[in-house]
Amino acid sequence: MPETTHGRPKIAAVITVYRKYSHAQHIVDRLLDGYGWNGTYHHPPMDLVALYVDQVGKDDLSHERAARFPAMKIYPTIAEALTRGGSKLAVDGVVLVGEHGDYPRNEMGQTEYPRYKFFEQIVSVYKSSGRSVPLFSDKHLSWKWEWAKQMYDTSKSMGFPFMAGSSLPVTWRIPSIDMPWKSSVSEALCVCYGGVDSYDFHGLETVQCMVERRAGGETGVRSLQAYRGDRFWDAMKEGAWSYDLMKAALCRSHTLTPARPGFNDIFPTREQMRELVKKPVAYTYEYNDGLRCTMLLMNGLIRDFNFAARMKQPSGILSTQMYLPMPDGRTTLADFFSPLVHHIEDMMLTHKEPYPIERTLLTTGLTAAGVESLYRNQTRIDTPQLAIRYEPRRESTFWRT
Amino acid sequence: MITRRTFLASTALAPVLAARASAAPNGPLRIAVVTTVYKYLSHGQHIGDRFLVGYPHNGEWHQPNVKVVSLYVDQKPEGDLSEARAREFGFRVYPTVAEAICCGGKSLACDAVLIVGEHGDYPKNEKGQILYPRYEFFEQATKVFRDSGRAVPVYNDKHLSYSFEKASKMVAASKELGFPMLGGSSLPVTWRLPDVEMPLDAHIEDAVMVGVGGSDAMDFHALEALQCMVERRKGGETGVKAVQMITGNKVWEAGDKGVWSKELLSSALSRSDTPMGLTIKDGRTQDLVGSGVLPGLVPHPAAYLIEYRDGFRATMLMLTGAVEDFNFSARVRGKGLVSTQFLLTPVPNVTYSACLVSKIEQMFTTRKAPYSIDRTLLTSGILESCLTSKLQDEKRLETPHLKVNYRPTVESQYCRA
Repeated sequence: MPETTHGRPKIAAVITVYRKYSHAQHIVDRLLDGYGWNGTYHHPPMDLVALYVDQVGKDDLSHERAARFPAMKIYPTIAEALTRGGSKLAVDGVVLVGEHGDYPRNEMGQTEYPRYKFFEQIVSVYKSSGRSVPLFSDKHLSWKWEWAKQMYDTSKSMGFPFMAGSSLPVTWRIPSIDMPWKSSVSEALCVCYGGVDSYDFHGLETVQCMVERRAGGETGVRSLQAYRGDRFWDAMKEGAWSYDLMKAALCRSHTLTPARPGFNDIFPTREQMRELVKKPVAYTYEYNDGLRCTMLLMNGLIRDFNFAARMKQPSGILSTQMYLPMPDGRTTLADFFSPLVHHIEDMMLTHKEPYPIERTLLTTGLTAAGVESLYRNQTRIDTPQLAIRYEPRRESTFWRT
Repeated sequence: MITRRTFLASTALAPVLAARASAAPNGPLRIAVVTTVYKYLSHGQHIGDRFLVGYPHNGEWHQPNVKVVSLYVDQKPEGDLSEARAREFGFRVYPTVAEAICCGGKSLACDAVLIVGEHGDYPKNEKGQILYPRYEFFEQATKVFRDSGRAVPVYNDKHLSYSFEKASKMVAASKELGFPMLGGSSLPVTWRLPDVEMPLDAHIEDAVMVGVGGSDAMDFHALEALQCMVERRKGGETGVKAVQMITGNKVWEAGDKGVWSKELLSSALSRSDTPMGLTIKDGRTQDLVGSGVLPGLVPHPAAYLIEYRDGFRATMLMLTGAVEDFNFSARVRGKGLVSTQFLLTPVPNVTYSACLVSKIEQMFTTRKAPYSIDRTLLTSGILESCLTSKLQDEKRLETPHLKVNYRPTVESQYCRA
């Protein structure tokens, strides 16, 4: 049995489910098996030594992985995983992946993944051990805003590095561009696909990782309005978001459904869009500094994440695709997890967050507000709790090498 | 007015014809399309259609200022779209290449010719090459040019011809008659992950390109992707001295002997998003080279070993079964490994062909080829000679005919904006 090397951080993973193409599989496998990075096959300079799996189904892979990587032990509780069966915290970093698995859905359509519960148990070990280590939490912090805020506050009061969010902000961009630092943006949007309380979060992070770089820094969001069905098309017609900007974003797509048979790549008319997209969803939201942004879920029209912003100075439209080479079908590997795992590794090694946790706190709140607006008959929601101010780092953190 | 006689007389003195426009200076360019077939997802359709309905380019839906005025299709199989397109977009389908280019008249009546001789039912020769009539289409076009005393830009999709001799004649005709010509694959111009270019005048020590798919179709794409990178090496392109194609176990043995670099193969495959085998089974990441699984995944490997005249060597490995994308790595003195994936975006949009069409349109409108046709000429010859080597017991073949010299453009030509 290979013993872990001295000096190499020891990591615990706390996950909901370990099956093919679950987020935990993508993330934990990269820590175990390595992955292509910077043009070589990279093996992370750390050891995954403990694993807690909340649900073990017929399609479980955790036992196959534990057999191949005997240094990684599976523990029956989160506390035991973090203490490696002892009484005190016995790892140097924790990876929490609470995505996928069989969890209840509430009346608002949110899947109640136990991220907050896992987080509480993790920090409970930190507290009882008198020591905290870096923590990564996948996707939004929690489906419930109050819990997300509490997770954020706890990380600040205890002072441990805390990183979370989507892989969208860190994946390849096509073209490979960033929002110019301190630029002036008047409107931005993301046209993407997927479901509510799911891919909407990815679309919101796509927008946020770009617009947070604007002049004045992030000021937070004061209100949000969601649209679906006929009201989506009415809002589009009335200019709730810029059609030109939406078109620019769609021109970055590689998966535009041809509206006419016999054509392989043809831009749809507005009427054809309506034919193709049976259940559109939009979240339009306004920032405290006046910036307006929109997240558009257009299932049936595209299967990728495309961003566009109207710039004031120099004037024009800036657009790109945040590239998600999604298995199964287009690829076999979800390699957008590679830059995410690389940032996790960096945090475990340096104890520095690669980008502010406030980004994900804000997008968590936006996701919850979007769900709530839809639930409350598409009413406008005031979001005073989202007056979140932060400054991102100037250097780009998306995948470029 | 230039008659055939005065044209021939004048070419004796000044062999280069001005490729001038027949349309009004600001009117749309008149394009003749010549294809083997025009059916859904054939190259003819997805390249031709972009001149009809536009395409995504630089973040906009770009509608080219062109008018397709005529179409020739060699075969009309089930699913043929040529007549439907002609009706909808107001042009005619003509029974011969010459009539299409002359729009039914007696002389050249278009400003550019788009030749797409890919797909359709054509015989294969003993080397496994599909005998697409690209040279024959081109010859009919240049005959019209000669007869009309005027020549216009020509794009020829993929390799110029299955025969280097024919391909050379095509390039010679374009130089003789002085019309710009572009050809080749979309791989050199598609997006790259990461967005990296080979530095100009790089001292490239070794290069490995990995491709997948069938021979005389996909191997051409991989060879041209390789060529667009290595042509930027110090001294420019000087041509190829010898080639050898090996298959089966000999490919792995050559790797063990260091004929091609396992380090570079591993590097190229680290760019892949599509490892097969255990990744299909349970989603895991895999070091395909380090784990030793490649021979089990690839039942019919092939190595195209290329020796350039300046002493540089490169290898293209066709590893169908290992991955499903096209990846490159080179060792460059002072820079380490330079590696990337040539991104082939999903069907049906195949937006990589929009990258290519923007280059074709650029040549049609500026009358200047954005990159040298000699790249495609050399790649056509490398492919043919490799397939000859395979047929001749996989022996090394000297290729004195592949003394093709050219310089790449300083600026990058692939999609990055």
